[in-house]
Amino acid sequence: MNHALPVVASLIAMAVVFWPRYGLWARWQLAQELARRIRREDALKHLIKSEANGRVATLNSLAGALQISAANAASLLEELEERELVTFEDGRPLLRPAGRAMALHVVRAHRLWESYLAEQTGVPELEWHPRAEEREHLLTPEEADALAARLGHPTRDPHGDVIPPPHGDLEGDPGQSLNTAAPQTPVLITHIEDEPDTVYRQLVALGLRPGMRAFVIEKTPSRVRFWVDGNEQILAPILAQNVFVRPLPEFRTEDLVEEEFLSGLKPQARTRVIGLSPACRGQERRRLLDLGFVPGTVVEVEMISPAGDPTAYRVRGTIVALRREQANLIRVSSKEASDR
Amino acid sequence: MSSAHPPSPTENVATAPVVDACASCSVYRAANLKKLGVAMEDWDFVVALAGNPNTGKSTVFNALTGLRQHTGNWPGKTVARAEGGYAYGDHRFKLVDLPGTYSLLSTSLDEQIARDFILFGQPDVTVIVADATRLERNLNLVLQILEITDRAVVCLNLMDEARRHGITVDDRQLARDLGVPVVPASARFGRGLPELLQAINEVATGQVVCRPQRLETVPAAIRPALTAVVGELEAAYPNLPNPRWVALRLLSGDESMVDALRGGQLGTLHSLATTESNKE
Amino acid sequence: MPPSPSQPASQSDQILAAAKQWRQQIPGDLHEHVVEAIYGQAARIAERSVSSPSQAARPTFDRSLDHILTSKLWGFPIMILLFAVMFWITITGANIPSAWLSWLLIDQGHSWLRGIFQSVGSPEWLTGFVVDGMYLATAWVVSVMLPPMAIFFPLFTLLEDFGYLPRVAFNLDRLFKVSGGHGKQAMTTMMGFGCNAAGVVATRIIDSPRERLLAIITNNFALCNGRWPTQFLIATVFLGSLVPAVLAGLVAAAAVTSVAMLGVLLTFLVSWGLSRTLLKGEVSTFSLELPPYRPPRFWQTLYTSLIDRTLFVLWRAVVFALPAGAVIWLVANVYVGGESLAEHFIRVADPLGLFIGLNGVILLAYVIAIPANEIVIPTVLMLTVMTTGLQDVGAGTGVMFELQSGDAVGQLLTAGGWTTLTAVNLMLFSLLHNPCSTTIYTIYRETGSAKWTMVSTLLPLALGFVVCALTAWGWRLLSVAPG
Repeated sequence: MNHALPVVASLIAMAVVFWPRYGLWARWQLAQELARRIRREDALKHLIKSEANGRVATLNSLAGALQISAANAASLLEELEERELVTFEDGRPLLRPAGRAMALHVVRAHRLWESYLAEQTGVPELEWHPRAEEREHLLTPEEADALAARLGHPTRDPHGDVIPPPHGDLEGDPGQSLNTAAPQTPVLITHIEDEPDTVYRQLVALGLRPGMRAFVIEKTPSRVRFWVDGNEQILAPILAQNVFVRPLPEFRTEDLVEEEFLSGLKPQARTRVIGLSPACRGQERRRLLDLGFVPGTVVEVEMISPAGDPTAYRVRGTIVALRREQANLIRVSSKEASDR
Repeated sequence: MSSAHPPSPTENVATAPVVDACASCSVYRAANLKKLGVAMEDWDFVVALAGNPNTGKSTVFNALTGLRQHTGNWPGKTVARAEGGYAYGDHRFKLVDLPGTYSLLSTSLDEQIARDFILFGQPDVTVIVADATRLERNLNLVLQILEITDRAVVCLNLMDEARRHGITVDDRQLARDLGVPVVPASARFGRGLPELLQAINEVATGQVVCRPQRLETVPAAIRPALTAVVGELEAAYPNLPNPRWVALRLLSGDESMVDALRGGQLGTLHSLATTESNKE
Repeated sequence: MPPSPSQPASQSDQILAAAKQWRQQIPGDLHEHVVEAIYGQAARIAERSVSSPSQAARPTFDRSLDHILTSKLWGFPIMILLFAVMFWITITGANIPSAWLSWLLIDQGHSWLRGIFQSVGSPEWLTGFVVDGMYLATAWVVSVMLPPMAIFFPLFTLLEDFGYLPRVAFNLDRLFKVSGGHGKQAMTTMMGFGCNAAGVVATRIIDSPRERLLAIITNNFALCNGRWPTQFLIATVFLGSLVPAVLAGLVAAAAVTSVAMLGVLLTFLVSWGLSRTLLKGEVSTFSLELPPYRPPRFWQTLYTSLIDRTLFVLWRAVVFALPAGAVIWLVANVYVGGESLAEHFIRVADPLGLFIGLNGVILLAYVIAIPANEIVIPTVLMLTVMTTGLQDVGAGTGVMFELQSGDAVGQLLTAGGWTTLTAVNLMLFSLLHNPCSTTIYTIYRETGSAKWTMVSTLLPLALGFVVCALTAWGWRLLSVAPG
């Protein structure tokens, strides 16, 4: 009888540790397997991104991107070769079809998840990328397709990157960087590079987003001074090179300067809507459109809450109250602003 | 014709067969209305009630069915779908109150309910309640619905308020521009309801055939895509009453539309006007 | 000609493929192009058929009313005055019908029904179960709940129909924005002062998912009219008696107001916390339309608000009160091992209750009076009589009752071991505990989510335990130190 207790206790302990699937050991192994898979997928992602951007991936670039030692990167590449995902040519790693498909899926899942977070949740902008970095490894291709359908098959993610179609190819070349844009020439921001994270955070904090219109005012070796959506900004060149733009030949700089935001409108003033800012996304954007904030609509400031915010605007015969942050998303013409 | 007869819907619309004068006067017709509440077992026609929030849609619903759904002066009060019924003349009508929405294009649940009911529920008539004081805004929804269905009646509600605001609406011109009957009303005071009932009846029984105005200028940016998909749709489903709307929804990746296409429900959608004439 | 049943699968795949391919070629957002085109056409059509006066389209009446009701100077005073008047009418107006209903349903109806049961020879346990338990609980809920609701809701609805409430939301939005909520939450909170279940239903006016959930979860912090009587009674009996009689009323009123204000403060604090944690990922879209003013139709409003709000809520309350009445009678009358179930529970829960400055009786009362806060005090009195073994008060085991004079209540409860701390903490716990079952059920119906129902139920309860425990700890510290 005396021996029963220790025996039962050790049996229970053994079960807790070694129980198939639910035991600690099994779980630990699963977690290890997942961690290894994530590392493989991250490596493949690095290869396909380098390729799309016309760069050559090397052992060192891989080690840098994954923040691992060169020795670990080498064994990782060996593992990828064993699994027939990667082949070597002149000592450089190249993707094989299976590896390319896997890499493409990861990129697709990442960008879809970012789109989902941007369009259908209230998750703050700075968390989109880190959350997508985790989720990209957990979505199956079928889940990614279902997500795409739910989102209405978006073609670009919130950073302006093209979401690759299933079995498609990864498009590179997001355009020229703001660094190289000619002064006094209107451009459209097409892409904000989300890596490295520290740079991305600064750009987001400045409110820069794909879809904004800008022009460089002046460029010196130490800084880039530029106009963007009504404000003047200054960036160090190292930051500006992560902002990608394409020229807007149909606009003159004067056209851009004439724009201001609805929030800047004085009480009793009236003006015309030019458009919604790209920072306005998802349901919020649809709602504002449905309320009639479309280009050409005349808006009037009707009254301001005694607490100072929100402000009620008269738009298409209806009075709609908007908070200051929302009014900051609606571009209006400053030229046509007039008192009633 | 008595003066209370509703304005003839449009000039290019086949006019209703001549009815005897008394039967068309509103007093007679109002006496014909039997409010049935929710006690609806069987019905001859299904009528959907759509409209922007805060346009008095629920007031119209209550006035016709005798139900007392709460109508607050809040935008978007009707949340769930409410149903009721009434009998008018020899026919029994089931009235379905759809959620009040500004649009039918978004992903919100309200809009999906309204959109799917008008398209797949194939109501015999869709009554669109519009606020006469804010017509421009309300026409956004009216025009979207007219893209989906060709059997609609616009109830131009809150005429009393429009008058108070000094606004006049030329309902004949509006009817001509929209291609569907337009009935001015003040549902709160019961004005215009007899005419509305008659217009619904005429459209439901096919006495009046609507020629709804569809979007006249397709934006250049989407024209090639829309034309191509409409072409594919028309080749596959020659009877589809609203290929452009379906194409638009497919292009924006509307899942219920994709499912309908895959599941073959799209093939069962066809112009109601065609079936009516086929029955005869 | 019947339509062909289903097109070949390949055909639909072909269309889908075309749609997919063309979708990639559309520059910008499809939705935006379409909305712009539709609004363009709408403007053209409206221009042809609408002629509005060349002057401002809004009538000067609406405009000047708006400028007064939302002005910096008058906006808030008018609002406070209107709501103060509304609450005053509700509270004073409800007293008379409440007393009358209480006399009819409880004093007369109860003994009358007992008489009937006894005359047909019903066994005592059945009479107790049905009449003392189920009937009495329901009668109590109806007589306390119905009159204030029947006054409050129509008044509220009149303001709503007139179009004033959206202006209140407009005025107060800034306050709620800071805590992550929507200005319309002011309305649902206000409604919650009438009845939390009705307040939860009223959150439908908030169309942004995150803000609506916030309003639902925090609605319970609005002290509903089922809890006001408890607050007033305890404040008068225990806190009013601490000061000279002249000041008693004032102190009691101040105490109750403080508790209600604490509820409002917690509404903001909890909203703030939730919108930064649990509700962080929920979608938020603010929009507030200010509709034109419309003269409300008095009788219609009266009718619909009675049917839709008052009777709707009352019916749900009755449905839950019936079984609860039965349970209350049963726990007091079913004996296990020589003690009733209630006594077992109280003995076990007493240490916990005392630790947080309450007692086992109060905890049990809140467990079994979950259907309606109205029956908490009668249940507490009944249980106290039972545990103290007093002979000359009460109406029998398991029969809820009320005492006419406050002093009698005070004596009874003091005999039950109550102190000033117990009273203060009961007031706090009455504000901070799980919503009544009617409200919980309504939250489930409105959110359709077990998760959010659980959060709304357990969060205030947990807060209640924490706040009461802290108060008790502080109280003991202070009362030991000087002595």
